[in-house]
Amino acid sequence: MLASFLTWLESTGLSVWMRESPSVFAFPLILAAHTIGLGLLAGIDIAHKLRLLGVAPQVPEAAFNRFLPLMWLGLWINVASGVALFAGYPTKALTNELFYVKLGLVAVGVTLITVIRRPTRRAPRLLAVASIACWVATIAAGRFLAYTYHYLDVTDLIEGRRRP
Amino acid sequence: MGEWQYWVEQLLLRGEYAAAIMRTAWGWPTVESVHFAGLTLLFGSIAVWDLRLMGMASHVPIVEFHRLVPFSVLGFAINAASGSMFLMTEPDQYIYNPAFHFKLLFLTLAGVNIVVFYALFFRRVRALGSGDRGPAALKIIGAVSIVCWAAVIICGRLITFYRPTGCPPGEPLAFLVTCIIR
Repeated sequence: MLASFLTWLESTGLSVWMRESPSVFAFPLILAAHTIGLGLLAGIDIAHKLRLLGVAPQVPEAAFNRFLPLMWLGLWINVASGVALFAGYPTKALTNELFYVKLGLVAVGVTLITVIRRPTRRAPRLLAVASIACWVATIAAGRFLAYTYHYLDVTDLIEGRRRP
Repeated sequence: MGEWQYWVEQLLLRGEYAAAIMRTAWGWPTVESVHFAGLTLLFGSIAVWDLRLMGMASHVPIVEFHRLVPFSVLGFAINAASGSMFLMTEPDQYIYNPAFHFKLLFLTLAGVNIVVFYALFFRRVRALGSGDRGPAALKIIGAVSIVCWAAVIICGRLITFYRPTGCPPGEPLAFLVTCIIR
């Protein structure tokens, strides 16, 4: 069931293009876009969290809301580039436990962006520290995905060629 | 150019302690994670500063946002240190890599831009209150900065696709044809 879904997914045009196109605009620049999105979303959010922790006290907290559209731009860049990267190597992602950990961490990080801005929120310092820790963990999980996968593609999965 | 690069390569190879750490089981990915966390800290804090220079959140005096700049410096320091560890472990993968050359070029441009800002504009910026319009050149400085740092990230991410084995180093035309246009 999973294998037949993955076989179909890896035969779609987007998937083949991501894996096999020699163009720099395929895998390489989509991967680079994923890093720019990370910088916009997590980077600007970390700047906001530093403000909540007491850095730049003369800047009103609300001033950081002006930068929210860029953070959402970063999120959408990463949803789009993430879907393309996933389409290229879906077996690699879905058979690695760490991939689900990363998705969970992204969900927590994004949720904290809005939760922390609610007027009723409590313990903003604690939430700010949690948020920064969450982004650092997301980044580490993302990097380690390249080193911890078990099956590169569906053929590996079907033939049982598992990496340690 | 070739001899010079060889000299730098030999110099970097003396960092054997760094290389020993990098070659432990999870050394390389761990330092990569630190490098990416550093780039996020650097890019996020500098982006907010650059966007303020470009006119966003203009009701807040520019100088108040300057408190974020030490965190950009911290991010840069983290990445200079972690980046050196990659270089000391596999120098030939960077010294002869055109993507790395472009990364250094954009780093230099970002640095020159910073020097221009502090040398020519910082004193005036400090005197600006909320709502004051600074010199128009501030918008250009902010835009150049954010574009350069984004280019540094993009070139850094492309390093792995331009390993010197696949692309002819030191031959710009051949490099363009084989590696960029393809």
